[in-house]
Amino acid sequence: MALSDYLVTDDLTIILALVAAGLFLLHNLYKPQALVHPILLGRQSDVARVRNPSESAVYRNYGTGMLGRFPLRPTKDQQVLLDLVKPDADAPRTLWSTKITNPQLRERAANFGAGLVRVAGLVPQEFNVLLLLNDGIEFIISDLALASHSVPSFTLSSLSLLSSVLESHPPSLIITEAEFLPHLLELIYDSNESEHHSIVVVGDVSASQYRQVQNVKIVHWDDIERQGASLDKPILSTPEPSDVFTVAFYETPSGGYDGVQLTHENITAGVAATRALVPPSSALSPLDTIVSTHSLSTPYGRAIAYTALFEGTGFATVDSTKLIKPEGAASLTGLKDLRTSGSYHISSPTILFVHPHHLSSLTDTVLEEARKSSWLLYNFAWRHKLAGILEGYITKQSLWDRLVFDGARVKVMGKGAGTVRAVMVSGAPLEAQALTPSRIALSVPVINVHSHPLAAGPIFASHALDLQTFPPAASSSPSASAADAYAFTYLAPVGPPSVNVEVKLTGVDDAAVEGGADPVGALHVRGPSVGRPLSAEEEAAEEDQRGWRITGERAKVAPNGTFKVSVAGKA
Amino acid sequence: MAFDLGTPVNTALLLYILYSIQRIIFPSNSVPQSVPNEFKNGYTWMPKSHPPTLLYQTYTPKTLEPFNGKEGKRILLAIKGVVYDVTAGRNFYGPEGMYANFAGRDASRGMAKQSFDEEMLTPIDQPLDKLEDLTAEEIENMKGWMEHFSSKYIVCGKLVENDAV
Repeated sequence: MALSDYLVTDDLTIILALVAAGLFLLHNLYKPQALVHPILLGRQSDVARVRNPSESAVYRNYGTGMLGRFPLRPTKDQQVLLDLVKPDADAPRTLWSTKITNPQLRERAANFGAGLVRVAGLVPQEFNVLLLLNDGIEFIISDLALASHSVPSFTLSSLSLLSSVLESHPPSLIITEAEFLPHLLELIYDSNESEHHSIVVVGDVSASQYRQVQNVKIVHWDDIERQGASLDKPILSTPEPSDVFTVAFYETPSGGYDGVQLTHENITAGVAATRALVPPSSALSPLDTIVSTHSLSTPYGRAIAYTALFEGTGFATVDSTKLIKPEGAASLTGLKDLRTSGSYHISSPTILFVHPHHLSSLTDTVLEEARKSSWLLYNFAWRHKLAGILEGYITKQSLWDRLVFDGARVKVMGKGAGTVRAVMVSGAPLEAQALTPSRIALSVPVINVHSHPLAAGPIFASHALDLQTFPPAASSSPSASAADAYAFTYLAPVGPPSVNVEVKLTGVDDAAVEGGADPVGALHVRGPSVGRPLSAEEEAAEEDQRGWRITGERAKVAPNGTFKVSVAGKA
Repeated sequence: MAFDLGTPVNTALLLYILYSIQRIIFPSNSVPQSVPNEFKNGYTWMPKSHPPTLLYQTYTPKTLEPFNGKEGKRILLAIKGVVYDVTAGRNFYGPEGMYANFAGRDASRGMAKQSFDEEMLTPIDQPLDKLEDLTAEEIENMKGWMEHFSSKYIVCGKLVENDAV
């Protein structure tokens, strides 16, 4: 038979050809487009052209550039802490359970400050005040009042530091919760201090039994505020941005403790950096509600709270941030902890700043619910979502979300299923394998952030729309310790440095780096959001070497400018 | 098959349609074994090498001299103890350039006196030029050149005496 006999076509051919053409177009052109073009993810840090021997080059965020200036504040009007509460934005929003506007907040802070001066005898620049408060509006009001009166405040990241700090840096005034008062008085009595203390107590004191200690004056918070409201407010001198407004004490991995001095400029720079975590197309606005699992007693938690205050969003924290817990209360983790934010009167959260155990608990629960609903559909949905992620695309409005994941999310998160639009994870190492299930379960940007007790604001933050998934890479350097090898192989990259931080690694193997290997070394940071530790030595003479702070962590850089950090003392 | 297509063309089209439907309903979840080095080859990619970074080194006149651009080497030039990497200016300082004399040498006197003659350069095995007999104006000129070089090229080392290392 001739060739033409084989190539006979009929009506069926035309139909099949049309269907084939349609499917070809559908399959090839209807591919989802990546949220961010991969070429941008190949160069996420700007690198200096020269490096010193045994150090790596200095790395900065690519958007800032080696020649750019670091953003010091969100806008030029925010010079000191009180400026972060904008006086002309008078829309009410809910902070924990209090509905309040900015002018009202400023007024309460001014009242409290005036009351402190009159009742507790606060002397600006001579007093130190220790804030032993759980996160709440009283913390913010005290902080703002003390900052405007130029009185440094002390905060502790955990109560185990209390006795050491009382000994080494005795405060003149302590603000604490009513339930902690007996314990605190015991501590002061036992330490036999001759200092005159005043204690301001938040909450109802009559219920707790406490022993009166000599030389210790106990005042109630409400009294101070009430008395302050009736006083004339003195004209206060504005503090300088370079004045220290707080010292945050934290535990070091070696078992001791250290304190970091934060100036007004550090916190405004931290707020500027925290605002830059979300992509500019979906920036923070007064319509948002932020839930944070980072305590206000840490610099990063403070920066998140002040970002919420600055942007006019609602704000609440969870139970695990409490410094002072009731006796015998179990510390919650994961989803149970996140749900405690529901006890406040905020509206449904839109942005979450959480720890990895919250994220993994939330992810596991959502996926479990989705699997229970329909096993077959769940597998299809997982397959399609994963194919999208491998192309760089994730969305909350796809068919599979409607069929499978939305129902699961609503069961787990309630109203948050519809409102949560970004999740920032920091505070502990996050495994790379945990990221993809979280992205599929939540279908919102999950941003890996690295924070450190020295900096108000993040140090590293991954690109918000970066969905790259790298397989675990074999660690090539034989001299790395076991913790480093684990971290650099299995942990998720934390991205490039934040917009106002520059980093460098020291103790780098020059021969390996010249041969093209990834630099690995001790991490040093510098920037306007990095505070000065109390243990810092004399500043170096030259401008170039001044201001570098040792973090005590080790890090590794990848060729695309992202970092992986191995936290000291933790596996 | 009960449905007789009868012609190879129809069979081929039907097979293609079935293949496309299979790709659409069961998308591929495969991750390549090795991470690609080009963004064209995949969304998850890693550049092959880090951006180039020079190591700050200490040079002597003898170790500086080989870097004169011949055989594709880098071009370095020193002014008042600061070594600049001028490989980007190969047209000027390379082997065929106008200022090729300065490549791999201490060019301080030449920059000060605005001259590219051989006599501005001190031989390699002698101590570095102390520049004591320069007038204030010439020193200003040299500092101006140092600023120009700092902004245009990369500072990559310092120059010390031959026996100081």
